Amino acid sequence: MRRVATAERPDWRAKAAACGFGFHTIDDAPYWDESAYYAFSLREIENDIEAPSEELHAMALDMVERIVGSEQHMQQLAIPEPYRDWIAQSWRERQPHLYGRMDFAYDGTGPAKLYELNYDTPTSLFEAAFFQWQWLEDQLARGRLPAGSDQFNSIYESLVEAFGTIARGIARPFHFAAVRDSVEDQGTVAYLRDCALQAGIDCGALAIEDIGISADGRFTDLDDQVIGCLFKLYPLEDMFRESFGQHLPHSGLQLIEPPWKALLSNKGILPLLWDAHHGHPNLLPAEFDAGGELPRGWVRKPLHSREGANIAMHLDDGRELRTDGPYRDGPCIRQACHPLTGFDGHYPLIGSWVVGDRACGIGIREDSSLVTQDSARFVPHAIVEEARGVLMA
Amino acid sequence: MKRSRTAALLLMSTAPLLLTACDRSESASREGLYTSVEACVAQTNDSNTCQQAFAKAQQDAVATAPRFANREECEASYGKEKCAERNDGASHSFFGPLMTGFFLSQMMSRNGVAANGFNSAPAFRDNNGGWQRPATGAGGVYRGGAGTAMVPVNATPNRAVTSSRAGFGTSGSSRGIGG
Repeated sequence: MRRVATAERPDWRAKAAACGFGFHTIDDAPYWDESAYYAFSLREIENDIEAPSEELHAMALDMVERIVGSEQHMQQLAIPEPYRDWIAQSWRERQPHLYGRMDFAYDGTGPAKLYELNYDTPTSLFEAAFFQWQWLEDQLARGRLPAGSDQFNSIYESLVEAFGTIARGIARPFHFAAVRDSVEDQGTVAYLRDCALQAGIDCGALAIEDIGISADGRFTDLDDQVIGCLFKLYPLEDMFRESFGQHLPHSGLQLIEPPWKALLSNKGILPLLWDAHHGHPNLLPAEFDAGGELPRGWVRKPLHSREGANIAMHLDDGRELRTDGPYRDGPCIRQACHPLTGFDGHYPLIGSWVVGDRACGIGIREDSSLVTQDSARFVPHAIVEEARGVLMA
Repeated sequence: MKRSRTAALLLMSTAPLLLTACDRSESASREGLYTSVEACVAQTNDSNTCQQAFAKAQQDAVATAPRFANREECEASYGKEKCAERNDGASHSFFGPLMTGFFLSQMMSRNGVAANGFNSAPAFRDNNGGWQRPATGAGGVYRGGAGTAMVPVNATPNRAVTSSRAGFGTSGSSRGIGG
């Protein structure tokens, strides 16, 4: 694994505009960054990322089965009481899920270490599945990448296939919803909806704020149609505590991601996985946080923090890092500190996509700090088979 | 190869996706998809029109449903035991999907009363769980053998009066909530 500086495509901004990729620059700061790429060998991708992702995914689904049978685990994950039976039922019915993203610390040496599962509202999907793919094709055509370069990225094909597989189990009408004013979230659901349409599923879109409720507790769209299935790019735990949340368990509304994903997008899954698979090479030691001083070598994360918010990190050398955010009061976990490796002052975090139940690609976000936050830039990657002589050097 | 062979876009390639593509103009019409006459009456309070619409849709279903040479082909598109043998009257037999619902649309007057006359159409449920109806003009999407082209409809046989909105979305931060 190497970080390779490279020339940008001169026309990438025009290409971004042509495919509706409006958030390549956020608040005047670059988000899409193709001034460099990460080069992997096929062995690194297949042995160190792809295979562990599939294994961890299977371990995570097994853990859901255990959690839904345990009031104690539900309590540890701070799942509100009124939603527990509903969540358990959604798992017993195997309500279909679509996608998730695992975040790994990985630098080409040693096993990838799982930081967390983003299994409810993962973003950076369009840039990974489409724009990164287009970058590779363009740079190959321009001769800027070694001939035969590839990319770990069948995310698009996997999404269309996954939609086709679950189509029969999706209640109609089927709508995609995200926060109205979030350009990034709107871009993500627009892409997912595009893939669903390509799978032959007719579907609509509305803002999460526009969802209505009827007197008898059913969710409606702007046309007063009862929504059959809602893809919501909106955290389940936020829905639980908002005013319409109480209607969810009895509304008949099907959700994607389904309610059982609330158990996996929760950082409490990390100590549970560590308990069940103590010493697994891709897991970091983790435990539920009982408060008190954070010892050296540990990181504190809220159960529901997103975008690297409210993380406290106490490094081995005694340095302490803290990020701000809105998740101040809730319960936390501790995870053994395993800092990202710097590449020329950049700290890449590997997002490994699992669509359906298949590990099918990665997207890399790099930050200038050890905690990957919403300031991180998306940097493309390529699989480059290196000549033997170079490997030896 | 570890990457997709292609990466196509359907909507995003042409223009930014607009929210709520449905026409919210003032055109006063009422359209519904119903799985039974009873459901139609419950919604419209107009049993006469509902019965006529159902009967007309059922009649049209034979003429406009997609036609298949055999049961297997039909069931591949519409599901097991969702197809029946039909005859076009000239002793040509074929297979077509069973009608699973009907559409009814009526013009409404200013005071909210349905005007005389209505349009109806049969509704079919495809193997993916989606609803479809015969295309009114040219350019249907799904054409199963002979018969009229079918167009998908993102609809449900249910409607409800919305009592409030904006009960979700109050926790969202300024820049998205995705992780």
